[in-house]
Amino acid sequence: MKKSALVLMTLAALAGTSSLAMAQASDGVLTVATIGEPPTLDVMQTATDIVLTIDQHIFETLYTYDAQWKSVPLLAAGQPTISEDGLTYRIPLREGVKFHDGSDFDAKDVTASLKRWMAVNSKGKQVAAIVESLTEDGDHAVVFKLKSRYAPLLATLSQASVILPSEKVADTLTEFVGTGPYALKERKPDQYTQLVRFDGYKSPEGEPSNYAGKREAIAKEIRFVPVPDANTRVEGLISGQFDYADSLPVSAFERVEKSGNAKPVIFRDAGWASMNMNMKEGVLAKKELRQAVQAALNPNDMMMAAFSDERFFSVDASIFPEGSFWHTEEGVARYGDGNPEEAAKLLEAGGYDGTPIRLLTSRQYEFHYKIGEVAKAYLEAAGFKVDLQVVDWATLTTRRADSKAWDIFITHSNFPGDPTTINTITDSYPGWYVSEQKAKAVATYMDATTDDAKKAAWDGIQTVIYDDAPLYKVGNFNAVSGVANGVSGYEPTYWPHFWNVAPKK
Amino acid sequence: MARIAQALLKRLGGMAIVLALVVTVVFIIVRVTPGDPAAVMLGSDATPADIAQLREKMGLDAPLLLQYGQFVLGIVQGDLGQSIFLNQPVTTALAARAEPTFFLTLFSILIAVAIALPVGILSAVKRGTIFDQIVVTLTMVAASVPSFWLGLILIQVFAVGQGWFPASGYGGPETPFLERLHHLVLPAVALGVVNSALITRFTRAAMLDVLGDDYVRTARAKGAGEGRVILKHALKNAMIPIITVIGLSIAMLVAGAVVTETVFGLPGVGNLVVSAVLRRDYPVIQGALLVVAAIYVLINFIVDMLYILVDPRVRL
Repeated sequence: MKKSALVLMTLAALAGTSSLAMAQASDGVLTVATIGEPPTLDVMQTATDIVLTIDQHIFETLYTYDAQWKSVPLLAAGQPTISEDGLTYRIPLREGVKFHDGSDFDAKDVTASLKRWMAVNSKGKQVAAIVESLTEDGDHAVVFKLKSRYAPLLATLSQASVILPSEKVADTLTEFVGTGPYALKERKPDQYTQLVRFDGYKSPEGEPSNYAGKREAIAKEIRFVPVPDANTRVEGLISGQFDYADSLPVSAFERVEKSGNAKPVIFRDAGWASMNMNMKEGVLAKKELRQAVQAALNPNDMMMAAFSDERFFSVDASIFPEGSFWHTEEGVARYGDGNPEEAAKLLEAGGYDGTPIRLLTSRQYEFHYKIGEVAKAYLEAAGFKVDLQVVDWATLTTRRADSKAWDIFITHSNFPGDPTTINTITDSYPGWYVSEQKAKAVATYMDATTDDAKKAAWDGIQTVIYDDAPLYKVGNFNAVSGVANGVSGYEPTYWPHFWNVAPKK
Repeated sequence: MARIAQALLKRLGGMAIVLALVVTVVFIIVRVTPGDPAAVMLGSDATPADIAQLREKMGLDAPLLLQYGQFVLGIVQGDLGQSIFLNQPVTTALAARAEPTFFLTLFSILIAVAIALPVGILSAVKRGTIFDQIVVTLTMVAASVPSFWLGLILIQVFAVGQGWFPASGYGGPETPFLERLHHLVLPAVALGVVNSALITRFTRAAMLDVLGDDYVRTARAKGAGEGRVILKHALKNAMIPIITVIGLSIAMLVAGAVVTETVFGLPGVGNLVVSAVLRRDYPVIQGALLVVAAIYVLINFIVDMLYILVDPRVRL
């Protein structure tokens, strides 16, 4: 009798929990103004921010990033079991997860999807080079066998390595079916991408933390609307047309704040701006001259010109920001107020012959252009001649692939989950950072199996980066977006997400 | 009759030559412009090897002459190619964006003509008065105002301030037709007001030319009412330059609404061209510009035909 009462009480409690959860579900629609139309929804092929932002609602990866940017399970059932030699990873998979088409998620889907990812994705190709085999271990586990140790494996399995039903995997994706909290209903390019709540969604457990933890599709529908003009995003947010507007100009902060209809949101340390140098050819192939660039520049002035207010940036020599697991001051050199005397000495030591430095920047990202303008002034003050070339972003990405066409280009990145996935560290990334000491430092990192060992190895890599000077870190910037009043539960993340967000009533 | 048919054929031949030139020039401009769709598609992470691999997959590494030949052959068969980014035929992409552009152009020109014709005529009739001077000044100001700036002001006043119109877009899924048109009011006003300035000035100038002519004086001497003199005698004879400028305005609106469509987030042909240029979606740029050029040429042809209707003395 007692036992059956307990069962009844438990069932009642479960029913209560369930009805509480159901009560949160809303018939509302979240309209999200994005900076433009995604070029595709195939995130394996095109892992750009706008694609990742939309796709994370549709697709899921084996792991995802928590608030400390550590990889925690999403479709995986737990952390992998790693063999003693660090070459075999057995990843358990969650059971009972369904795709939007009603099919069950299993190991076959994982191997099929990850094989495509390793064939088409830039990071996936790097992983493919060290993977000996990827096989299913029953229906609910997969096994990676590696040729050599590879510390960033879980980080790379946390982004763009999305899982599709095996039968939907193709060279060119035509059906976008995932396991995420929202399913794709319709995409009208340049008009909207419409996602609807997936009622069969099975959420991971745990407190929400960055992209990790419990995910609840509260809004019935999310509409991503491309609004390329930043001012129109601001006005649309204030007028109530949008519930969320991405990437607002910092100059609009006060206007949104005073509107009474929406509030601005600052996401701290959204990314970092850098000046990447050409180590393969041209003036800056000489290390002394790259170090002269480091010594000549003043990061504070560049960031102030670019972001106009200290609320929107910070100057920090550590490649990773304060609060990050990877933050370190190790190896920092020639980063400060701009030292033209030291730069002049390095110029002389490097035998600078007055050849102009071709500095590529783009107005498509206005802050890139402003950073370029201030950098030009500081470099000229130190004795460099500078040819500032302002082009559109598509031209810049083409030109930078040609080692004969440039000396510095300005870019920006987010802070990745694993430090060795920073593009510049890759030998083949424009800039062609190839150095013996870098290779040794990265090899030490790859061998590391504990967090402490990885952190110590990263200290070594940062030290080498400051010495080799493949790039100049300008500073960290914050992102400004806006949320309409009445929308609740929004937590800012680098790729804004809208599960756990309740629309206006 | 045979002469008219011959003249028409000659004109159509001229149009074909113009379009052939457009096809070639656009193809060359698009290919010599730096930038690579493969690099844009793959994003910042891409290595040169990844980009080269995708270029090969997309056929962009083929010799330019071969690509040009395929493009021309496609056009002859009514195929403008496949969009690199949209994963659909260019003709489908253009058709999907034709509605907002068509109605935006239509509303803008209606607004422009509704303002310009009466104001231009009145201004000419009341030449030298304060009204005329105000019209001359306002048209100069309106002609100098960029439509995107006027658009932003209209958004602030009527979308944010009054909430009468949406600030952006063309409606979501299942938005009824009339509500979609509601989204076009502000951009149409922005374009219409700016375009009305030019048409007003042309109307005023054309009317001034004819108002002093003998036949107008004769009509007045015969006791015709002022309204009849202006609308039947003067306006009819002033219509050729007015039709010309209206035709040019329509043609420019089809191609020139690019900035306004971007500001208002309208998924029209102009917006498609901007996105395609930024992404270097070659087939879409080529196809869209060819269609816009064809519309431009066609409108000019229609305007020429209208000359004959308005003034039978005009020969083809």
